[in-house]
Amino acid sequence: MTDGIAISSKRRLMLHDGVTFLILTLATVVLFVLTLLLFRSFTEHRAELATRWAGRGRVALTHGRPQDAVEALRTALTYSPGERSYELMLAEALEGSGHTEEATSYFLNLWEAQPGDGVINLELARLAKKKRDRNEAVRYFQAAVDGSWEGDGVEHRRDARLELANYLIEQKDFATAQTELLIAGSNAPPDAALEVMFGDALARAEDNANALIYYQKAIKLAPRNALAYEKAGRLAYRMGDYARARGWLERAVRESAGGLASGGGTAGEDDLTLLRNSERLLVLSPSVARTEQDRITRELDDRSIAQRRFAGCMAQVSKAAADLTAGAQGAPSGAAAGLLAMQGLNARWAAAKGLSTRQTLSADDANEDTLVALIDDTEKTTAAVCGAPSGDDALLLLLAENRQ
Amino acid sequence: METEPKVIETSEDEAAIAALAPAREERLLLLLSIFIGVISGLLVVSFRMAIAWLSVLLLGSSPGPRQPRLIIVPAVVGLAVALLTRYVFPQVRGSGVNQTKAALYISNGYISIRTMIGKFLLASLAIGGGHSLGPEDPSLQIGAGVASLISRKVGLSRERLRIFAPVGAAAGLAAAFNAPISAILFVIEEVIGQWSAGVLGSVVLSAVSAVVVARWFWGSEPMFRIPAMSLRDPRELLAYAVLGLVGGVASLVFAKSLGWLRPRLRNLPGWSQLLQPALAGLLVGGIGYFGLPQVMGAGYEAIDQAMHGQFVLHILLLLAVFKIVATTLSFSSGTPGGMFAPTLFIGAMLGAAVGSFEKHYFPHLTGSTGSYALVGMGVLFAAFLRVPLTSVFMVLEVSGNYSVILPVILANTIAYLISRALQPVPIFELFTHQDGLYLPSMEEQREERPELHFEDALGVERTEIRVPVLKGSQTVWEARQSVTEAAAKQEFEAVLIQCKDGGWYAASRPELEVIFASLGTDPNEAEAKQAIEERLGKDRTPVMFPDQTLSSALPYFRRWPLLPISNRAMRGALEGVLSQADVLRRYQR
Repeated sequence: MTDGIAISSKRRLMLHDGVTFLILTLATVVLFVLTLLLFRSFTEHRAELATRWAGRGRVALTHGRPQDAVEALRTALTYSPGERSYELMLAEALEGSGHTEEATSYFLNLWEAQPGDGVINLELARLAKKKRDRNEAVRYFQAAVDGSWEGDGVEHRRDARLELANYLIEQKDFATAQTELLIAGSNAPPDAALEVMFGDALARAEDNANALIYYQKAIKLAPRNALAYEKAGRLAYRMGDYARARGWLERAVRESAGGLASGGGTAGEDDLTLLRNSERLLVLSPSVARTEQDRITRELDDRSIAQRRFAGCMAQVSKAAADLTAGAQGAPSGAAAGLLAMQGLNARWAAAKGLSTRQTLSADDANEDTLVALIDDTEKTTAAVCGAPSGDDALLLLLAENRQ
Repeated sequence: METEPKVIETSEDEAAIAALAPAREERLLLLLSIFIGVISGLLVVSFRMAIAWLSVLLLGSSPGPRQPRLIIVPAVVGLAVALLTRYVFPQVRGSGVNQTKAALYISNGYISIRTMIGKFLLASLAIGGGHSLGPEDPSLQIGAGVASLISRKVGLSRERLRIFAPVGAAAGLAAAFNAPISAILFVIEEVIGQWSAGVLGSVVLSAVSAVVVARWFWGSEPMFRIPAMSLRDPRELLAYAVLGLVGGVASLVFAKSLGWLRPRLRNLPGWSQLLQPALAGLLVGGIGYFGLPQVMGAGYEAIDQAMHGQFVLHILLLLAVFKIVATTLSFSSGTPGGMFAPTLFIGAMLGAAVGSFEKHYFPHLTGSTGSYALVGMGVLFAAFLRVPLTSVFMVLEVSGNYSVILPVILANTIAYLISRALQPVPIFELFTHQDGLYLPSMEEQREERPELHFEDALGVERTEIRVPVLKGSQTVWEARQSVTEAAAKQEFEAVLIQCKDGGWYAASRPELEVIFASLGTDPNEAEAKQAIEERLGKDRTPVMFPDQTLSSALPYFRRWPLLPISNRAMRGALEGVLSQADVLRRYQR
């Protein structure tokens, strides 16, 4: 083989390789462009399918057909895997269709990927609540409160904390619920409706004092808010603060302009009754008297009411006992106990005959105390023996219970 | 099996080109590997799109139980595939792995363009039409086909053509799996069976190029969305060991089913083979129609759902069992499509089942269902396909989580050992035997008795050297005296001379006789006082060590009568000396 042949062969090879690579490059580019065009169409088609099925799932969920929603959303997720909004909807649909375990498992898997996600933790908390797993529920509620949220995080966190507090109230864990509510309330923006809501929640958590503070805040923020006045009035009434109850209830009636803001005629009548009761209680209650004379006057008035109630009840009990004896039957143990209690009261009334004048009462504070205790016991005993009282007796019973 | 077209080279010009070929091909190899990777990647992306599109088109966008098309479509598709396989694309049956191996070992890496196109069309039709098969193995063959086509068009030598088949196979598999390391390891473990620097570079380049292309389209996320996982309680390894056990047994059942049904269906009359894919489609569709549509097609969505704990225990077990049934039917009927995806499916379901069981009965253990499903995939991969190394790396690659390594290694090893013990012939080898081929078994090659080494020939008295050893600095006169004295004591054919540079020179008796013949009787003459090594050749006997293979010595005996075996720790110290006779004796033992 000569050098000439070798050189020409080399040149031919180089040319051949050059052309080959040029063709290869062109073929690759053409194939790439084709694949790209097909891929775009492919992804658009899949996105369209995902949207269509997710829409069907959403509609099914809204119309209360969670099982259909599950199927539709599963399909949507095959076309758009990992799409968070679809996953959350699917988990909700699973929960709604009664697949609590599957929903929990689904949310747990989402949680494993995003353990700090507020929505997922809240849903898990709700599922744990449904499964009556208190520790898990509280743990996830706490994680939801501390978690990350899309949009208005402050509002979502507050709502999650409120849900936690409500759950704790259901669980009778009032102390922890109060703490959560106070934290939520202190972080809330000034808004009358919110203050009323916190007041309600605190009242349910048996923190009446703080509840009243929140109602007052609401009144301060919206001085014509009939609802706030009504809530504050009712709570004050329950707490035995009849003076403030009367004031707020009066204001509630006035602000509601022809009907109480709580809506519904019955509620309005309730409030009017409470208002009237408050006014009457302020007349009957010795503790709100401004002077000693006034107090003794009230005590004497209350004495008369209680004595009448005692006499009526005693007659009723005696008649019942006589009827039972006449029927040659032994008196039932309840009736016997009632009779015994009434006889005890009778003895005390007999002993308290001297406590019927202004002079006797003003002579010694102990006499006043004895009389008030007798009135209270009379109302309580007669309520137990002869049934719930009405009118002033009912109000005296309320005062007795408040004093207790 | 495909027949390679004959190449006729006659002219002087072509002889000149052939002379230039090695250097030219060396230069082209890496560049072509990139092109093969890119083109394979693009084709595999299109292949996956075709499957997804056909699936929506044929089975609807939301296939579910009680949809009649679930039964009709796979049957009709089966019939169409059978007709096309019989009359248009006769080489596309099966998964693609064995066909690629056959091309490599029998027809010098030749895969026709018709086979490549047929594989693309028929496999996408079958998988999209609901047959229980996967796209990975066909992707491997498509990649190998691309490599074969390009290397032929470039005009590479026969030797290079063979190299390119695995290069393309790695690219195709890497693009299908979105996992380059697993693809490279699979090709090395199952297709070529050895690490060779020349091939490895090209395989890596093509696989990486293919994955870059695939990720450009599909994104860099792993193939499956893997939930967070960690191994906090070592006791959990027991559960993973149970998974290994379950996986080993399941792979055995799967392999036995295929091994039993496939040859029986293939031995049926020719006309019935036209109906087999349709019948398989009907039965697979029936499984879908009556409640388990997840077993149809590749089943990636179901794997994802299992990994995210969306199936309860009994459904997981049903899915695993019916996937074995469906894949056995689809594959044995000769429908083109792969077994990787079904293997992963079965593994994921079994893994998730073990995970669900563990979560229910041992809630204090922390492993998520997803982590068990993931390990389960690796377990079946190791046990059924018998690629233990690939299976470990596959799990690591698709999870991107190293903390799963311990469970994976443990479970895979148990499953692999069970499978090896109970099913000695690996599944791919079984298929080649059923097809009347005898391709090399990579597993057997790995397990073969290791080659003999020098130390095996040296024996226990390796330090005893039975030939005279001279210093290179000795004079020729002294050397002659030493050799004469030694010859009086024993027979020897050569002398070892330690040169000043630390090397050894094995001089034969005739070579020395020539040097000594020039000496006179006066020890003081110049020639007699010359150092012996100055009279020897400039070359030195090669430095050999006891751990080197015995076969590597053979070429040296043409030049050297003896080979000194050196100590690796002490330069110049000898472990022993070997002659050609010693080596042959050791081989004959």
